[in-house]
Amino acid sequence: MLRGKNILITGTNRGIGKAILEKCVENGACVWAHARRETPDFIKLVSDLSVKHQIEIRPVYFDMTDKEAVKKAIISIRSSKLPVDALINNAGVMHNASFQMSAEKALRDIFETDFFAPFFLTQMISNLMVRQGHGSIVNIASMAALDGNPGKAIYGSAKAALIAMSRVIANELGAQGVRSNCIAPGVIATEILQTMPADELEKTKELTPMKRFGSPEEVADAAVFLASEKSSFINGQVIRIDGGL
Amino acid sequence: MTNEEKYANAFCQAFDIEPEAAKNLTFQAIDAWDSVGHMGLVAQIEEAFGIMLEPDDIVDLNSYEKGKEILAKYNVEFA
Repeated sequence: MLRGKNILITGTNRGIGKAILEKCVENGACVWAHARRETPDFIKLVSDLSVKHQIEIRPVYFDMTDKEAVKKAIISIRSSKLPVDALINNAGVMHNASFQMSAEKALRDIFETDFFAPFFLTQMISNLMVRQGHGSIVNIASMAALDGNPGKAIYGSAKAALIAMSRVIANELGAQGVRSNCIAPGVIATEILQTMPADELEKTKELTPMKRFGSPEEVADAAVFLASEKSSFINGQVIRIDGGL
Repeated sequence: MTNEEKYANAFCQAFDIEPEAAKNLTFQAIDAWDSVGHMGLVAQIEEAFGIMLEPDDIVDLNSYEKGKEILAKYNVEFA
């Protein structure tokens, strides 16, 4: 589905991002796999996937909140002269606190990582996409952005901002061949769940029509679809991957 | 080609105008320099000087002269 495509994915060292990396490579894409830092586990992951699928994976390391580092990475990507066919904005951090218990520092920190960082990165990459006349931007948002889940005042707000950004890009750059869509995962079985209260998790599972949590691979399948030409007339949408919640 | 010539040429390429028409040009002074044309101009300038403009500089680039001031930050010197 992605043969011949070059895709930049952020936050690929674990969870949903790792699953997206695996699925993209499995579908034939060459990937710039972003991680915050180089670790032996990440190097092994990239190397194993590359050998298994005979696909080039180019690791890129930078702190998403460091604009200079992001810029350097984009210059390096641009100098490769390869098109950036898709950008998958996955990197982000979860935060749990009720509205009245949401501290200002956390608010600023989470917005920095979950909204400002992908905003600036997307600005830079979309410039390249406009020049090449095509591109697909996939933003990993959250059902918390749509449903106002208790305890997600900051996280949900940051992801809601990401959805708004995505809609604007869809409207402004659609005519230039650049699409932008969001995925809003429900509760997905990743290590991030450990940060959520157990009773809340159990309640969510019960409320989910499918009576289970989603897997990272189920989110990754949607990301692959949105990055591919199979979704060529889908623009400005939010796809929920939540088992019907 | 001097930096001045390269810079003027970027405007010529982006907006299909003569070098003389580029000087003193301001954003939206001609139909071609609209928000879409602006990104084309940015691409031409970046390509000409092998740089990558900051998003804030892309926003601030609202005239031929202002662009030269901005490029000074990227060590592009004009005689």
